[in-house]
Amino acid sequence: MNEWFGLLGIVIASASILALRQPLVAILDSVLERLDSRFERQVWCRQSDTAMAVTLLFPGLGILAVFGFAPLIYALYISLFDTRAGAFAGPGNYVRAWHDPEFWGGIRVTIYYAIGTIPATLLLSFGVAWLLFRIGRGRGFFRTVYFLPYVTSAVAAATVWRVLLRPHSGYVNALMEALGLPTQLWLIEQRGVLHLLTNGWIGPEVGPSLALCCIIAFDIWHASGFGVVIFLAGLTAIPRELEEAAIVDGARPWQVMTRVVLPLLSPTVFFLAIVSAIKAFQAFNSFYALTNTARSTDTQNLVIYIYSQLYESQNYGYGATVAVCLCVAIVGLTLVQWRVLGRWVHYE
Amino acid sequence: MYRKLAGFTLLAVVITGCGVPGGPPDTQGTEGTGFRPVDANAALLWDRQTLETAELIGQIADEFNSSRNGMPVKVEHLGGYTDINRKVSVSIQARTLPAMAVGYESMTSEYARARAVVPLDPYIEDPEIGMSEEDLADFFPGMLQSNIYPQLDGGMYSFPFTKSVLMMYFNKRVLRAAGIESPPKTWDEFLAQCRQIKERTGVSAYAVDIDCSTLDGMIYSMGGELVRDTESLFDQPPTIRLFELLATLAKEDLAYRIQPGTYDDREEFARDRAAFFFRSSSHRPYTAALFGANTDDWGMAMIPQANPEAPVTVLYGGNICVFRTTQEHERTAWEFIKHFTSPEISVRWALGSGYLPIRKSAASHPDMQAFFEQWEFNRAAFDCLPYARPEPNLVGWQEVRTLVERAAAEVMNGLKEPAQAAEALKRQADAAIAAAR
Amino acid sequence: MRRHAVAYGLLSAGALLTVFPFVWMVVTAFKPDSEAGAMTLDLWPSAWQWENVTRTFQVAPFALYFYNTFAVAITVTLSVVATSLLAGYAFANLRFAAKNVLFLLVLATMMIPFEVALIPNFLIIRGLGWYNTYAALIIPWCANAFSIFLVRQAFLGLPKDYFDAARIDGCGHLRFLLRVAVPLVKPTLVTVALFAFLGSYNALMWPIIVTSDKDMRVVQYGLTVFWGEGGVRVNLLMCASAIVILPTVAIYFAAQRYFLESSLSAGIKG
Repeated sequence: MNEWFGLLGIVIASASILALRQPLVAILDSVLERLDSRFERQVWCRQSDTAMAVTLLFPGLGILAVFGFAPLIYALYISLFDTRAGAFAGPGNYVRAWHDPEFWGGIRVTIYYAIGTIPATLLLSFGVAWLLFRIGRGRGFFRTVYFLPYVTSAVAAATVWRVLLRPHSGYVNALMEALGLPTQLWLIEQRGVLHLLTNGWIGPEVGPSLALCCIIAFDIWHASGFGVVIFLAGLTAIPRELEEAAIVDGARPWQVMTRVVLPLLSPTVFFLAIVSAIKAFQAFNSFYALTNTARSTDTQNLVIYIYSQLYESQNYGYGATVAVCLCVAIVGLTLVQWRVLGRWVHYE
Repeated sequence: MYRKLAGFTLLAVVITGCGVPGGPPDTQGTEGTGFRPVDANAALLWDRQTLETAELIGQIADEFNSSRNGMPVKVEHLGGYTDINRKVSVSIQARTLPAMAVGYESMTSEYARARAVVPLDPYIEDPEIGMSEEDLADFFPGMLQSNIYPQLDGGMYSFPFTKSVLMMYFNKRVLRAAGIESPPKTWDEFLAQCRQIKERTGVSAYAVDIDCSTLDGMIYSMGGELVRDTESLFDQPPTIRLFELLATLAKEDLAYRIQPGTYDDREEFARDRAAFFFRSSSHRPYTAALFGANTDDWGMAMIPQANPEAPVTVLYGGNICVFRTTQEHERTAWEFIKHFTSPEISVRWALGSGYLPIRKSAASHPDMQAFFEQWEFNRAAFDCLPYARPEPNLVGWQEVRTLVERAAAEVMNGLKEPAQAAEALKRQADAAIAAAR
Repeated sequence: MRRHAVAYGLLSAGALLTVFPFVWMVVTAFKPDSEAGAMTLDLWPSAWQWENVTRTFQVAPFALYFYNTFAVAITVTLSVVATSLLAGYAFANLRFAAKNVLFLLVLATMMIPFEVALIPNFLIIRGLGWYNTYAALIIPWCANAFSIFLVRQAFLGLPKDYFDAARIDGCGHLRFLLRVAVPLVKPTLVTVALFAFLGSYNALMWPIIVTSDKDMRVVQYGLTVFWGEGGVRVNLLMCASAIVILPTVAIYFAAQRYFLESSLSAGIKG
């Protein structure tokens, strides 16, 4: 019953705010004005807006410091301990990681996953956005459809995929059978996809496993909509005249694309590349929801490995060590992208 | 700028309560330092039952609460065993724990290593709320035995709670279609029947859920042992024979794996797309629900053996452990455990769920007798109990479980040769056990 | 129309692939028990079992879960908009010492995978005595680097003249921010709000870690109940998934008008 009163309160409150809009705005204005003049009277504000900045930054940065930044310091700190033995280990955990095949396996899976998802997502979403940009009618409809997976929770969507991809009696296998194709184990197939495609000519441990490819496919499906929307926004922002001018000058369609559209779109590509790289290195939900964690090494990326070290083996120090390595890798990768791609980015 | 950075760092370190890096200093805690209870006013039980069985255990707790004054018991569903395990691990770090939780022996030993669980011996011996000699003698000895942890000063750190044994479920419709009269008694017979079923009906006979307890039971039944002291024995012939069997079954398409964490094997079985699956006896009511009135179409039996004269299966299912919180929480938890494992409730729980009664006297209880009469296989699991052996309760076994499952999956997937997989498994398992010590 | 036949063809094929899992989910949700798990290519149920919805609600108290989830997600959304608006403005328009260093530190928090922060954050929550409270579900998520970044970029994208003109009129920072600038960056704020809502609504790991009381559960947890030992009833599981997905889809539809003009693209520049 309590919750209904709460709801009622919200409704009444919002209704009265709407009704009293004008006087409220006036009050707000005068309050803001007063606050502003307070800030400006501060002596130390003459050269800069420090007092104002501290006030505005405090809520957001306070929370980030406690829940975003402190964990990093904590991870750095406990990575120097052998937490199982309860002793200071110095660089011991880092040395252990260097010799740990599962750590390197995790890196391998992370890299496969990044290579599998980032270019495919970028290309696919650019292609779709480009087509949407060309057609006139139905753009809104298609954009909505393509964005749909992105708004659904990974847990719910992965549940659907898991059932569809059941190894013995899933819908996808029924489809394969109907098409006369060999059925597959999908999410529990640990052999390499190259091995399966070449009929055993390539060794089963080479390349990503079919299970990993299923996860990659899931994430391409799940995340492409984000790219589509952003590319579309970028494309719409390109002045039409530029393109038309190029066409009048006799540029062929692909020349328009490479000489006009892509350079103008480069900030968008740059942004998406950096964001999706960070996301790819932090991927967890799809791995966790599609496979059972820690069951098989072929779908164990670094984050899953960290997770199992922290929560299943209770190896806090070592888990933190791997986490620190991962953070360093992400920072490094972002800096490299910044340097390499940044040179190519074209700002008006 | 540097001053600000330093300020940030300082703030962060202060807030994270630095000086307590992860587990270790916690584990050095003295006897007096308890953990904070999650709920100060109730003894929480972190449980894994869902749907009907969750309702039943909730009912039992409610009756327990209204039968006495004092702290009430509250049952909370936290997901499966592994979910509970993770949650408890994190909670140990935060030094905030429920009164009790269900789990495998391997999990309890991890908690005990962090000094988070209390030994139950003082409670059992307590003249007022303890158990008498006859009371204790009424439990199946194997069940009590697996809760005594030799590595941890031989204390009883958990108590049998919802126990079951590994069984073989067989689909008579498929067996009949393949012209098979009775389920296999030995592993050779099992393989032969699988081949016959494939040949005559085209059905891949065995739906495999890769689960460590199941594999442990199979190794036992192959005549094997899992550990000697703190050394694993996976490189011995029984494990290799099991892996060879699994490889053969997979290669000839006589068996197929299901997604771990699901119960698709039971579903496939009920749809006649499998003749066998191996699961805990607690799956009986769920399987029965799938078959409905066709009670003559399926059954349960002792798993196949290397030597059917001396059968062995694995005893598994959950134990319950009591966390070191407050005197009142601990005491309430123990009293609830005592209540739940009393002869009367034990029978009621067994009948309402698929678990086994954990007391010998249950067999003569009139309700149990009536239940045995109802269907020819209702007795099967109970009859297996004398042959059921617990899994190791070594510290570090929790990690070994993952390794065993990985090895079996790799063997069935054709990634590793059986002997090679067994060899690697032994090495990894020994390393994990050594690292945990 | 005809000019774009190929484009329409390709787009439709892609769209079909994209929505197929959803179609399958919804259709399966209304199948009778006997058909749901069967290996069949038949998409259509033989009879639509509308009562599956009520059955699903009986398995878990979804009404309670929805209440919790919405209470948390709405608060988080409003707070994220507020914190990132303020911080984004400060980073874009104010002059103060160590601005760039602070901004880099903010961006650095994006580099830490959430799973790594789980234990320290749990320790903090426990230390603050927030275990099993809404505060634990809400406060840690009330600010994030990505939102601050987006808002800052949006402010940077505004022509400097606006601000100068306002200054000449004697308009201070706060008044300028709330009365002039907010309406101008509304699309970005809607985008930030949408992401914040989705993030909070779709969270599972954190709520499970910091709560244990069954009255504190959220909808994503509701899905896990269907995976119990009693077996997975595929139709009910799909029904639950559809119920869980529905609100986010609805909110996306409501927000997408802003989302499209979204100046994500504007924010990306610079």
